[in-house]
Amino acid sequence: MTIPLADSPVGTLGQEVAAARADASPAWLAARRRIAWDAYEALPMPSSQRDEDWRRTDISALHPERFTPIDRVDAAVVDAMRVQRDAAAPTAAFVIDAPVAQPIEGADTLHAQGIIVTTLAEAATVHAELVQRAFSSVRADESKFVALWNALWRGGVFVYVPRGVEALVPVWIAHPAGGDGHAVFPSTVVVLDEGAALTVIDAYASASGPAALLSDAMVILSVGRDARLDYNTVQQWGEGVWHVGLQRTVLDANAKLRFMGVTLGARLQKVWWEVLLEGVGSEADILGICFGDGTQHFDHQSLQAHIGPETRSNLLLKVAVRDRARSVYGGMIDVAPTAVHADGYVANRNLLLSQGAKADSIPRLEIRANDVKCGHGATAGHVDADQRFYLMARGVPPEEASALIVRGFMDDVLDRIPHRGFAELAGTLLDAEIAGGSVTGVAAETS
Amino acid sequence: MSKAVLSISGLHASVEGKEILKGVDLQVAQGEIHALMGPNGSGKSTLAYTLMGHPKYMVTGGSVSFDGHDLLPLTADARARLGLFLCFQYPTAIPGVSTVNFLRAALRAQEKEMPAREFLNRLSTEMKELKIDESFRSRYINDGFSGGEKKRMEILQLAMLRPKLAILDETDSGLDVDALRTVADGVMRLCGPDMGVLVITHYPRILEHLHPDRVHVLHDGRVVTSGGADLARQIEREGYEPILGTAAAATA
Repeated sequence: MTIPLADSPVGTLGQEVAAARADASPAWLAARRRIAWDAYEALPMPSSQRDEDWRRTDISALHPERFTPIDRVDAAVVDAMRVQRDAAAPTAAFVIDAPVAQPIEGADTLHAQGIIVTTLAEAATVHAELVQRAFSSVRADESKFVALWNALWRGGVFVYVPRGVEALVPVWIAHPAGGDGHAVFPSTVVVLDEGAALTVIDAYASASGPAALLSDAMVILSVGRDARLDYNTVQQWGEGVWHVGLQRTVLDANAKLRFMGVTLGARLQKVWWEVLLEGVGSEADILGICFGDGTQHFDHQSLQAHIGPETRSNLLLKVAVRDRARSVYGGMIDVAPTAVHADGYVANRNLLLSQGAKADSIPRLEIRANDVKCGHGATAGHVDADQRFYLMARGVPPEEASALIVRGFMDDVLDRIPHRGFAELAGTLLDAEIAGGSVTGVAAETS
Repeated sequence: MSKAVLSISGLHASVEGKEILKGVDLQVAQGEIHALMGPNGSGKSTLAYTLMGHPKYMVTGGSVSFDGHDLLPLTADARARLGLFLCFQYPTAIPGVSTVNFLRAALRAQEKEMPAREFLNRLSTEMKELKIDESFRSRYINDGFSGGEKKRMEILQLAMLRPKLAILDETDSGLDVDALRTVADGVMRLCGPDMGVLVITHYPRILEHLHPDRVHVLHDGRVVTSGGADLARQIEREGYEPILGTAAAATA
C-alpha cells in the first residue's frame, strides 16, 4: 500500500520542481536552494574520464533528469524497517523521512528530555538558527550531487540534543523509498550541544527488486564540546538503486564520534564519510562493513581531517565482494598544521570471494604538522585455504566453512559496535547476504 | 587384535610433485593407542594431513579404510563426520570466529548438537580439566593464543567432538613439562574402547604418559619397523640410528 501525498510535484527533476521547492521554503533556505540549483545546472556530471575522484566509478548510465521526485511513502517498506527497529532497538524513537511529515513514534521520552526530534523541513523554519549552524559545514554548491540535494530535499529528519542532556533512548531514522523511477533525497541532520549524548540508527531501504531509484543523500552531524554521538547507519537499497551520499561530521573540543556504516544494497553506491576533528582532543572511531555480490559497485571515500591539536581518529572498513561485485575505497587522513600530536589511522581490508570480484584501495596521508602519529593499511585476499581446511577438518562442509570465515571477518568489526542490537541486526542481514545469492533490499510486500 | 578402525595399505602421496609417502602400511585397531615415530622429514606430518584429506597432499597409490569406509575419495569434512580427528601441529587462527561458535558449528556439522545449557556445562567442565580460562570461550579461535594454549584448545575440541580416532600431530612439540602433562592427561581421559589414538611424535617423552599399545617407526615414507612400548624406550636410549641402520640393511 502506498500513501499518496497531497502536494505532489509534477515532472522529473528540473527547474520547475526546484522553483517549487524554493518557493515553499523560508527565505534563508530559498536563497540557498536557488544557489544550489544554479550550481547543479552549471556543474557537469562527474565523469570517470575527467574526474580523478570518479575514475573507478562510472555513472555514465545515470541520468538524474529522468527521475521523478518521490511523492509517496511506501508503507510496506516502512513496515519492514519498523520490524527491524522493533528487534534491534525496541525503545528507540522511530522517525520516517518522507516528502511530507509522518507521525513520529515513541519520541515521548526524548521530548520530555527537551530533545527536538522533528522533520528537517519544520526545523528549517522553527529552529532556523540550529539548522543554519549545521548547514554551515556543507557548501550548497560544493559538488553536483550536493547541489542537487540542497536544491531538492524535502521532509528530512532533524534531531537536537540540548546542553548536558544524555538521550535515554536512541533515535531510529528510516529513509524509505518505493516505486520505480523515483528520486529520494534522504536527509539527516543531528546537532548535539555541549556535553550531550545520543545514539542514532540511520537506515536506508527499498524493496528488493530491480526498480530504478536515485538516492541523493545527506547526513550532517554536529557534535558539540564534550558531547558523544554513536551513529550507526545501514544501507539496504534494492538492486536497481543509485545511491550517492555525503556524511559529514564536525567535532568540537573533546567531542567523541563512534561511527558504524553497514553497506549491503544498491546497484551502485558512492559515499563520502567525512569527519572534521576541529576541536582540541576530539576523537572519532569510524567502522564499516560492506558486502557485495552480483554486479554491485561500491565506492567509499573517507576523510579524517585533523584540524585541532591532540585529535585522534581510527578508521577500519572491511569489504567482502562476490561474483562480479566491485569495491573502490579511497581514504584520506589530512593533518592540518594546527593539529599537533594528531593520531590517525586508516585501514581497509578486502575479502575477494570470487575470481571476478575486485577491490581497489587507495589510503592516503597528507601531513602538514609536526609531531603526529599517522598510518594506513590496505589488504585484499581470498578466503584463507588453511582456515577453510581447519574448519573442514572439524566436519564443517566447505560452503559453510567459507560463510563462517566471511562472517568472522566481519564480526571482528561488528564485535566493536557499542549498540549490540544494531550489531545483531547487521549480523543477521549479513548472514542473509552471505547465504542468499544476490538479493538486496528489504523483504517488503509492495502494492 | 580387534577390528581395525584405520587400515592403511601401500599409501603413496606427494606434495607439490615430490613423493613423500612411498608405500605406508599401518593398522590401528578400535580403541588402541598407536605411536608413529620417526626423524624429521620421514613423512609423519604428511601422513597426518593425507589421512585428513588436505587438498595439497596428492594420493598417488594405495588405499585407506576408516571404520569400514574408503577414506580417500572423501573431502576432509566428510572424513571428520565419519569420526576422524586431527590434532593440528599448527592450529589455524580464524579471527572473528569465537571458540564457542566454532565448536557449535563443528558439533552441528557432525550431528552431535546438544541443548545450549548442556553444551555450556560440558564446555565448562572440559575447559576446567584442561586448565583453559573461561575467557577463551568468547575469544576468536586460536587468535593470539600461545603455542601451549593452541594445543590445549585442540584437545578441548577433541573432548567436545569425541571422534573414533584422533591423530595427534606432534601435539607435544613446544609444550613445557606441565602443559605436556595436562594435554597427555586430557588425551588419556578421552581414549578408551570408543576412541583410539595415533600419536605422531619424534620425542618419546609424551609416550611415557600415553602408554601406546604399538609403536611404529616411519622412515623415508615407509613404516620400517613396528613393536611394543619397548621400541619407544629403545629409541629414547639409542636414537633412531640403530633401527634405521638395520632397516636400511634389511631393505637393501
